[in-house]
Amino acid sequence: MPQYFRDSPESLVPDALAGFAAAHADLVAYNPDHGYFHTRHIAPARRVGLVSGGGSGHEPLHSGFLGTGMLDAACPGRIFASPHNRQIFEASRAVARADGVLHIVKNYTGDRINFGIAAERLAHEGIRCARVLIDDDLATDSDDIAVGRRGTGATLIVEKILGAAADEGRGLEDLVALGTDVTRRARSLAVAAAAHTTPQSGTPAFTLPDNVLEFGVGIHGERAEGTTPHAPLGKLIETMTDQLLAALPDSTGTRVLALVNGLGSITSLELYGIRHAVAKALDDRGVGLDRSLTGTFVSALDMRGFSLTLFATDAEALRLWDAPARTPAWPL
Amino acid sequence: MPDQPGPKGLTHTAVMDWMTRFAATVRSVEPELTALDQKAGDGDFGANLVTGMDGVRRALDALAAGAGNGERDRRGPDAPLDAAARVFLDDVGGTSGPLFGLLFQELADALGMAADPPGTSALALGTAAGAAAIQRVGEAEVGDKTMVDALVPAARALASCEPTADPAHALHVAAVAAHRGARSTTDLRARRGRASYTGDHSRGVPDPGALAVALLFASAHAELTSLSRLPVS
Repeated sequence: MPQYFRDSPESLVPDALAGFAAAHADLVAYNPDHGYFHTRHIAPARRVGLVSGGGSGHEPLHSGFLGTGMLDAACPGRIFASPHNRQIFEASRAVARADGVLHIVKNYTGDRINFGIAAERLAHEGIRCARVLIDDDLATDSDDIAVGRRGTGATLIVEKILGAAADEGRGLEDLVALGTDVTRRARSLAVAAAAHTTPQSGTPAFTLPDNVLEFGVGIHGERAEGTTPHAPLGKLIETMTDQLLAALPDSTGTRVLALVNGLGSITSLELYGIRHAVAKALDDRGVGLDRSLTGTFVSALDMRGFSLTLFATDAEALRLWDAPARTPAWPL
Repeated sequence: MPDQPGPKGLTHTAVMDWMTRFAATVRSVEPELTALDQKAGDGDFGANLVTGMDGVRRALDALAAGAGNGERDRRGPDAPLDAAARVFLDDVGGTSGPLFGLLFQELADALGMAADPPGTSALALGTAAGAAAIQRVGEAEVGDKTMVDALVPAARALASCEPTADPAHALHVAAVAAHRGARSTTDLRARRGRASYTGDHSRGVPDPGALAVALLFASAHAELTSLSRLPVS
């Protein structure tokens, strides 16, 4: 049975928070009273504080992207659980700037409610606050799902582009419009060969037969609608690419940015092989690959799988993507 | 005696006693609330509510002992509600608890801005603002089997009262409306909130959050009509 390296299931998150704070003390600081990280360095022109957060288990999201060019504050919850509204409220109050604070929220009920309560409290204190909701997961794109698509890999793209835009001194409404548009132009799909290990029990969240992939899996061990044979990689990537391109707005002649993201225990060797297959699939379809990023950025504990995010780019988005960022985990 | 002045209004003391009475009430019904939540939710609502109100009682003791919180007059009618808001927003887990905090926060604001002592119009404003905030955050409508099913009828009932009506009467109307709304959740299938993941298991069980809202207004009504509120002259 696979076991996590930790003292106890309860120590997994707090020990990691302490270790992260110490390892990146030049870039970030942890507020132990209210449970949030904030950046130590802020671009002087920034007029809006960028705050994100969510359950732990998705590292390096979100705390890994604190710093100039990206987030001002990040609120970690317990494993796969939303942060408390107090963490978000206090973090937002601490990093709000002249034009207020922007919440970057992945679309999950708990996150929506807790960020929403924090937003009510901020309004009550006269602090301007708005939200960009990330809902890029194509597997949950169905009229039967009242809560809408889940937020997954596109979160990183939104955090990068909005961070660069915020550093240029853009205002709150402008950033909301930009973030909403980036989300609209990004879709993701995830597949897994094995579920994550539940930290409390040490058992897999679900089991799959040999040579079968869960197709459309979530980042909290949510099962997918269906499975697919562990086909040749090229064929799998072609299927994913076709579905994602079909879901992007104005897909004809699109140029894209591809995020090849590991879900926890896939190897870097495999991820670059996937990156290669994605480039080929896009080329075969006449779609230009403007930029790509390969690595583990939005994980799901130790899930053995990966997600692919395609984002329909334009010159402005590429300029903001290319802008410098200095954070614990931004690789470029 | 709808024109009785002073003693029947929502004075600082009356609001302190309302909160204390609500705390005692939720403690006494905690087993029932927990049993309901175990049938149609995750079972932690009763405990969260009791923990929250225990915290509120400590905050009220601190208030009575002279601890203020910044801008607010600690002897104002809004101070006990503001203290309750802080406890529920900051210290209570789950989602229903902090949503109660939003209701307390809006009630505190409305009572704080009203004439002294605040009356029915302040209650109506605060309850409506609380319901609106909770609906914005929780995205629940009436009929989704949540606390909104009791809170929205209570807000409507208060809004239907004359602004100058005796607050004890208005709270009676609100408590009846909230209770009726809470009972109406029994036959609903949850679409939002804690019970929405249990599907048809939630049918036949009233929503504990809605019941707690009804108890909040019933506690206020009971406090304003209690012997201790009779004028002594």
